[in-house]
Amino acid sequence: MSKKYILGVFDDEATLVDAFEKLKDKGVMPVEVYTPYPVHEILEGMPIKTRITHAAFFYGLFAALGILGFLTYAAVIDWPLRYGGKPFNAFPSFIVVTIVATILAITLLTLFTFSARAKVFPGKKAEIFHERATDDKFVMVFDEEGIANESESLKAILTEHGKIE
Amino acid sequence: MEDRLTLSNKFKMLTYALMAVGVVSFALGFVFDAERTWANYLLNNYYFVSLAIGAAFFAAIQYITQSGWSAMFKRVPEAMVAYLPFAAVFFLILYFGMHSVFEWTHHEVVSHDHILQHKSPYLNVPFFFARIIVFFAAWIILSKVLRKFSLKEDEVGGMLYFEKSEFYSKIFIFVLAFSFSLFSVDMLMSLEPHWFSTMFAGKSFMAGVLHASSIIALIVIILSKQGKFPLLNHSHLHDFTRYIFMSSIVWGYFNFAEFMLIWYGNIPEETSWFVHRWHGVYKILFFANIVINWAIPFLVLMPRKSSRSKLFMIPVIILLIIGQYTELYYIIWPATVHEAKFGLLEIGTFLGYAGLFSWVVGTTLTKASLVPKNHPYLEESIQHHF
Repeated sequence: MSKKYILGVFDDEATLVDAFEKLKDKGVMPVEVYTPYPVHEILEGMPIKTRITHAAFFYGLFAALGILGFLTYAAVIDWPLRYGGKPFNAFPSFIVVTIVATILAITLLTLFTFSARAKVFPGKKAEIFHERATDDKFVMVFDEEGIANESESLKAILTEHGKIE
Repeated sequence: MEDRLTLSNKFKMLTYALMAVGVVSFALGFVFDAERTWANYLLNNYYFVSLAIGAAFFAAIQYITQSGWSAMFKRVPEAMVAYLPFAAVFFLILYFGMHSVFEWTHHEVVSHDHILQHKSPYLNVPFFFARIIVFFAAWIILSKVLRKFSLKEDEVGGMLYFEKSEFYSKIFIFVLAFSFSLFSVDMLMSLEPHWFSTMFAGKSFMAGVLHASSIIALIVIILSKQGKFPLLNHSHLHDFTRYIFMSSIVWGYFNFAEFMLIWYGNIPEETSWFVHRWHGVYKILFFANIVINWAIPFLVLMPRKSSRSKLFMIPVIILLIIGQYTELYYIIWPATVHEAKFGLLEIGTFLGYAGLFSWVVGTTLTKASLVPKNHPYLEESIQHHF
């Protein structure tokens, strides 16, 4: 990979959060933070806001309407068949199918959306910044280009709290 | 943190006025239409007992799951549970109105009816009241024990009373699950004694939990507007909303499952209950129940923003207060009053009960420190944030 990154590796949560806050005051934001468990301050502090919940809601809405529409079309308009003494439009019995199929649709569609946005696909080579990032270390990743003019102070803060690699 | 609630005179006068309205509407109701008044009596009794039971369930669940977030507010469900002794007296007074609401209490009806004869070992007046007494005794004793532990904890501290409360809460929810199921069958399902539905008890219980958790949230919000609970934050509100949201979905599921299976099975003895309610106002109420108790809370409280704001919660809660009434009206009226009458009598009696209930909750809240002391999870509750 041609891009250059600066890594800050920390041993525990407190030093990570401390460095994160200091850098935030200077306007330096990491592109990614890897932690062994969710760290509240990082979640709140990162400038990334997910819109996937909105996507999921609209997938659900359209899936529900689509499935109900399809069932109505199939059972009422295209091939009306009387069974069990029910009217053609056996609406209550459509609902169970709709709920289950909507859950399936939401799950798959949000999975695909997430994968597309995160550029993840089967067989992709993993981008590993630090080999203990998935272990017990807290790793902050900085894009070197984006913070060229601040890189000295960044390095100073990082060495103060952890170490750079 | 000694922070006791003091009731303002205005609040007391208001509750007394509401109780007076209730008493007057009852008195006038007996003069003009005794049958309808007894139906009102049953509806309102059941309404507020379901709130008390739902609150008891809420409090017990907090102990069992060792929830930290709710430790600050546990006096509110405790205060709602304090309504149970009043409800017990009211349900015993129902003896005088038995014949107006319960068809199976008439000997001449039962003697001509094989199904009712078959059910009479269970559905008979002495056993009915024995059940009421046993259920209420169990509920009152267990809730008093839990309340005593909770007050002792304020003085002594430590883990002892928390662990005791947790143990008794476990007993309590088993007792509740069994007794309240039978209670709802007695009070609501036996109004039409030929009909039966296995979903009914679950649905009634869930309705109680749904409306009790929304009332708990409402009381907390009202108290915070008065300057109490200064540490209430959006995360607490979100957790209250989760309870409302969750129980609303479960209620919607039970309600639909009950209807769908009966509709699909199409067996005459099961469908009769719904056929009876498939015309006029009752048909509107059938859909209104689903919209008020499930659809609107589901859609409004789904986004993160609205589930954390009082602005959205209060209208939904007020709607749910109406929702429990319409649901009970839908169950009770076709079986007892037959015609869908709604007037000053209904409003007056409901206001009377609401006044009594608020009076009981208010006076119980003044009896102890509003925020419990020495609760092991109190600090977690104060720091609660997500």
